[in-house]
Amino acid sequence: MDIEKALAVSARGMNAQTARLRTIAENLANQDTTGSTPGAAPYRRKVVTFENRMDQALGTEAVRVKSIMPDRSQLPERFDPSHPAADARGYVRTPNVNSFVEVMDMREAQRGYSANLNVLEVTRGMLTRTIELLK
Amino acid sequence: MDRPTDFPVTDLFALAERRMAWLEQRQATLAHNVANANTPGFHARDSAPFAAALAQAGRLPLAQSSALHLAGGGPAAGTIATRGHERTASGNTVTLEDELSKVADTASSQDLAVSLFRKYGGLFRTALGR
Repeated sequence: MDIEKALAVSARGMNAQTARLRTIAENLANQDTTGSTPGAAPYRRKVVTFENRMDQALGTEAVRVKSIMPDRSQLPERFDPSHPAADARGYVRTPNVNSFVEVMDMREAQRGYSANLNVLEVTRGMLTRTIELLK
Repeated sequence: MDRPTDFPVTDLFALAERRMAWLEQRQATLAHNVANANTPGFHARDSAPFAAALAQAGRLPLAQSSALHLAGGGPAAGTIATRGHERTASGNTVTLEDELSKVADTASSQDLAVSLFRKYGGLFRTALGR
């Protein structure tokens, strides 16, 4: 039934946005995570990508998280010779997390989540009205 | 003896039923669009107009003689690509505002169809004196 599929698809959309939000939380929480041995790599920002795949159990296509990959951008360096992770030149590599980027991403995830929730509520209203025909 | 005039009873019920089925299908399509609002390369879809769906309603579906056969027409059946007003750098053409206004439109159309269905059923109840 299409209406049940619509409900399931919206729920999957919310799931995907939640996974994205969880990754953003991870990035923000680790924005100061450096290595602890000389020259060790710091935390690398993670990026979530989505895809629309056929779901056999659902009998329709649904969005899902395709992959959570590290952001391959350049790691910034900070001069701090006293830091345990400082290399021979005295530089510490810091995470490539930009809190502004993360916050904007978070807003977008929140917007996507609300939109899915809105569709879910409207669909549920349609289902309720149809069921009420029996009364 | 006067023959009672043919009352197009079943027609209206059948029409309302088809309309509701079409609206549900459209709702599912729109739910897809909203869920994929951030999927790279996803193209927004919409149901074919109701008139076209109605004209096609008499056609027979494809036979499935094996469990391995896919049902005729998958999620893409009866749907058309919408002309996106904007396309993101990742190739996504979903505009959330447009989709949500279509969702609201679908819900109010469904409300209308259900109300008509109920009203028409009420006419019969009145005729039956219940």
